[in-house]
Amino acid sequence: MKIQCASLSDLMKWPNKNWEILVFLVLVLAPWFQPALAGGLGGQITSVLIICTAALGLNVMVGFTGLLHLGIASFFGLGGLFLAILTVPMNPLEIGFLPAVFVSVSVTAAIGTLLGSPTLRLRGEYLAIVTLGFGEVVRVLFLNLENVTGGTQGLGPIPPPGSGIFVSGIDLGREFVVDSRWFYYLSLIVLFVVVLLVRILEKSALGRAWIAVREEPLAAATIGISATKVRLSAFTIAAAIAGLAGCLSVASIGTTGDPNAFGFNRSVAILCAVIIGGLGSIPGTLVGVTILFGFDIVVIPWVDSWMQRIQGQLFDVSFFTLGSWRLALVGIALIVVMRFRPVGLIPSRRFAAEFQESQQ
Amino acid sequence: MRSIWFCQPNPSAFRLLWNIVVCLTIGLNSFGCQKIESNRVCLVSSLPRTGVSKQLSDEVVRGIRLAIDEVKAKAGRFTLEYRDLDNSAAASGRWTSEGEAANARMAVEDSDVMAYIGTLNSGAARVSMPILNYADLLMVSPANTAVGLTKPGLGLPGEPNVYRPSGRLNYIRVVPADDLQGPLAADWAFERGVRRVFVIDDAGVYGRGVASLFADRCREQGMTVLDHVSIDPQAAEFKSFVGSVMSADPDLVYFGGSARTKGGQLARDLVSAESEAILLVSDGCRTEAFLEAAGAASLEGRCFATSAGLSPQQADCEEKLLFLRYRQKYGTCPSNAAIHGYEAARLVIRAITDVGQKDRRAIVESAFASQVDDGVLGQWGIDANGDTTLQEVSVSVVRDGKFVHEEVMSTAGIGKKDGSR
Amino acid sequence: MDVASFLEQCGIGITSGGFLGLIAVGYTLVYGTVGLIHFAHGDVVMLGGCLSLAILSFLVPLPVDPLTGCLIVVLAATCSGLFCGCMNVCIDQFVYRPLRNAPPLSPLVSTIGVSFVLMNVGLVWIGPTDRAFPEIFLESTRLIGGVPVAMADFLVLVIIVPPVFCLYILLRQTRFGRSLRSIAAITRATARSGEAGKLVIATFFISGFLGGVASVAAGVHATTINYQMGHQMGLYAITAAVLGGIGSVPGAIVGGLIVGLIRAISVALLGPRWAITSVFLVLIIFLAFRPQGIFGKSKTRGGQR
Repeated sequence: MKIQCASLSDLMKWPNKNWEILVFLVLVLAPWFQPALAGGLGGQITSVLIICTAALGLNVMVGFTGLLHLGIASFFGLGGLFLAILTVPMNPLEIGFLPAVFVSVSVTAAIGTLLGSPTLRLRGEYLAIVTLGFGEVVRVLFLNLENVTGGTQGLGPIPPPGSGIFVSGIDLGREFVVDSRWFYYLSLIVLFVVVLLVRILEKSALGRAWIAVREEPLAAATIGISATKVRLSAFTIAAAIAGLAGCLSVASIGTTGDPNAFGFNRSVAILCAVIIGGLGSIPGTLVGVTILFGFDIVVIPWVDSWMQRIQGQLFDVSFFTLGSWRLALVGIALIVVMRFRPVGLIPSRRFAAEFQESQQ
Repeated sequence: MRSIWFCQPNPSAFRLLWNIVVCLTIGLNSFGCQKIESNRVCLVSSLPRTGVSKQLSDEVVRGIRLAIDEVKAKAGRFTLEYRDLDNSAAASGRWTSEGEAANARMAVEDSDVMAYIGTLNSGAARVSMPILNYADLLMVSPANTAVGLTKPGLGLPGEPNVYRPSGRLNYIRVVPADDLQGPLAADWAFERGVRRVFVIDDAGVYGRGVASLFADRCREQGMTVLDHVSIDPQAAEFKSFVGSVMSADPDLVYFGGSARTKGGQLARDLVSAESEAILLVSDGCRTEAFLEAAGAASLEGRCFATSAGLSPQQADCEEKLLFLRYRQKYGTCPSNAAIHGYEAARLVIRAITDVGQKDRRAIVESAFASQVDDGVLGQWGIDANGDTTLQEVSVSVVRDGKFVHEEVMSTAGIGKKDGSR
Repeated sequence: MDVASFLEQCGIGITSGGFLGLIAVGYTLVYGTVGLIHFAHGDVVMLGGCLSLAILSFLVPLPVDPLTGCLIVVLAATCSGLFCGCMNVCIDQFVYRPLRNAPPLSPLVSTIGVSFVLMNVGLVWIGPTDRAFPEIFLESTRLIGGVPVAMADFLVLVIIVPPVFCLYILLRQTRFGRSLRSIAAITRATARSGEAGKLVIATFFISGFLGGVASVAAGVHATTINYQMGHQMGLYAITAAVLGGIGSVPGAIVGGLIVGLIRAISVALLGPRWAITSVFLVLIIFLAFRPQGIFGKSKTRGGQR
């Protein structure tokens, strides 16, 4: 009897201890049990997963290294643009999906380094404004260099990964387009790999150097850490991860779309997600993005569609939609979270400790 | 057992995330028309329902609802269910590729959905067209006018076949494409004795397209195209730019774009710079919003707009049943957007009724074969590319703070019909 | 580009630079006292524009003679200034004050949240489309000394110059101004102490007031307003504040004028689509050579981050 009780309490504790495995399992299995997840909502949840990936890149810069970056969406867009240039049928290159992703991530990382090197002298707000300016410049270049980028119409359609490959008579490309589960799993795998990568980086010598440079730049210099190199590496890695997320995003949508989607608004939204999640914390970043973007692109359309049905049965026209109050709802959510959890929802232990210290 | 990829398992954090996941999975159960009912058919529209385009998409949705009400939500043995999807996002206030792709996927994977009405913006159509094409789902656009979407050889290289990966057609539009409106606008200008034109566009798919076609036709007619410039549709004002327009001294300034891409602002800046040139705008500007932004008084008699099809006033506003019903329900006369939404929905409903079963391919074919005799904007059908056969463009002028019908232009010779009622 | 049109572009640049400078002063004052980039400032300005639109549409149904027009516009500017000032103080007291001791990036998120809320309020208030400012003058240009001067631009200067002058007097000549400048010169920690609370309120009020005045100037200059104008002008104004050296009031005004001039001239030379790019490219290149901005001190407190 006693043993049984113990095992029961173990069972109750199990999810608390291994919650990340559980969440991952749920995400893997959910599409098979929830048809809606595989439907259009799957597409939207895929976007949330992709933005999670990009936010992890931003977290390397803002959270670990302490450099305020307001132009992450431009790297997201650049990654997508290079993928599109390399794969769309209108261009002569048309290399396969995987090599294209590889090339575009490398080029995006190189651009990140290029932006990083002249601006490393800048601190705090100045760096933030320069990255903001860079983001806007990239957005306008996207719009104006129409021969390369397609302007407002974007470049597309991008052939889905595996197009032209036939497995027992089924065109994989078609499957990727018609069944959103393929992209769902692809982005889940990428997210998983990026989480592992960032986790390893954080524990590595480089990761410790990032944190040292953030907290004690002078002390770091005396023990031989070159702040310039360390900051530059953070810039590069953030750009590369954001570029990878951008590749996935445009591939799942099928076109680069309107370049305005890579502007200041998107950058700021990702930054907010990272901060409300908790700076420097990987689960925090994931939760922050899930809440903020999940609310904006999954929950609100769902609630609206549900309310439409209710109202549609009662009246002819739907009078009220949550959609028209989206901005205010997101804004209030940001204010409230910061008011009651100024260190973020799931702060990293180090960050929370720092904050405690500064309070005393 | 401590896992490797997250630091510090945090119980409260876990509960938060876990609850979110559980809520989502439970909540999603009730999403969409999943329960397979043999006699229910879903009709979805994907339009930008927040931000700058809300006004226009509201009108389209009203048109669609009116068409559904007209048949009492029945198409043959089916009950019609209409869902109004949003393809815009809060942060940007305009359509997003993610939203449009997600809407298209949802429509494809829901086996009750038999038609997809959308999109408002040609750029958004480029996102959803390949997805819907794979699934053979009928897509009817009430507003896309970019030529490349359907017409071979006129758009970018590879268009429109890149949007038809399955090799079959599924896309129809009920508005004439820009290759009608742009050139006819140029002909109209030529007839009025205009010789020097300055062409401006909003850098969008639609604005750029119609303005280029206008400029090309102007050159063919022997007019001087002083310049063709794209503006930044997010700029606050165009004072500096209008200075360079003025110094070129044009007879006519053409703007390809819409009220939401700063058409009104541009018109206002031109007027306040005391430009003598007449202003000709494309149909995206033929809205209340344009007049409101531009200040209608200053445009009196010198601002003209083209619009595809017969204009509402010309089509005897008071006599048509649609107008009565629309006015009864919403209190205003329907705009062109509402009419096109109505026509698109009616086309879809008729195709579903004719086929009588849930066969997406058959519905597409039936829609392609349809011929509309009692259309609000005249008689029309669908040609092999999925375009409407409507060949008329009407020109309106601003009078007493409203767009008033002036004359009809047609490709069948530059036939002038009597415009006065 | 000939000399006349160059001068014309300069005139346009200076008028638009003038109100950008006023908005930039708002950013710079708030940054100087509480060390916060107040991202919602642009949207506060936008709401001021909405209010002045309401006032002007009520008072000016028809074009009026220049003097009456000026008076009405000055009245609208004062009202909208007071409104924005009060709103700014409320935002600070209710949203930012509880976060004075929070980690540095948390209030930044709150400012963005406030910005979203205000933008939504503006959207509901004036709708999603451009709204025209009422015609204030019968004649739009007038020859002054042989040079055609747009009355609207003249009016913008009438609105902008007095507040700038008053601000100068306030900062240079009064005890309040000296204590404000001393706060800006010492550290952020002073602002956190209870005694500086009143100064912070005053700062937010002044920055809001200047923003409200600038909103009327912007409305008169651009002739239309919309709910997204705060975002656009906010970006330019932040750039101006940083270019001038954030924390420096004269720097903000000079930065505003420079941004306005770059914008006007690049539109005339390169076309209207390259305005944003030119402004930000100049900013990036300038900061690469002088990381503290024009008037900034080389030891910026941003380094504490």
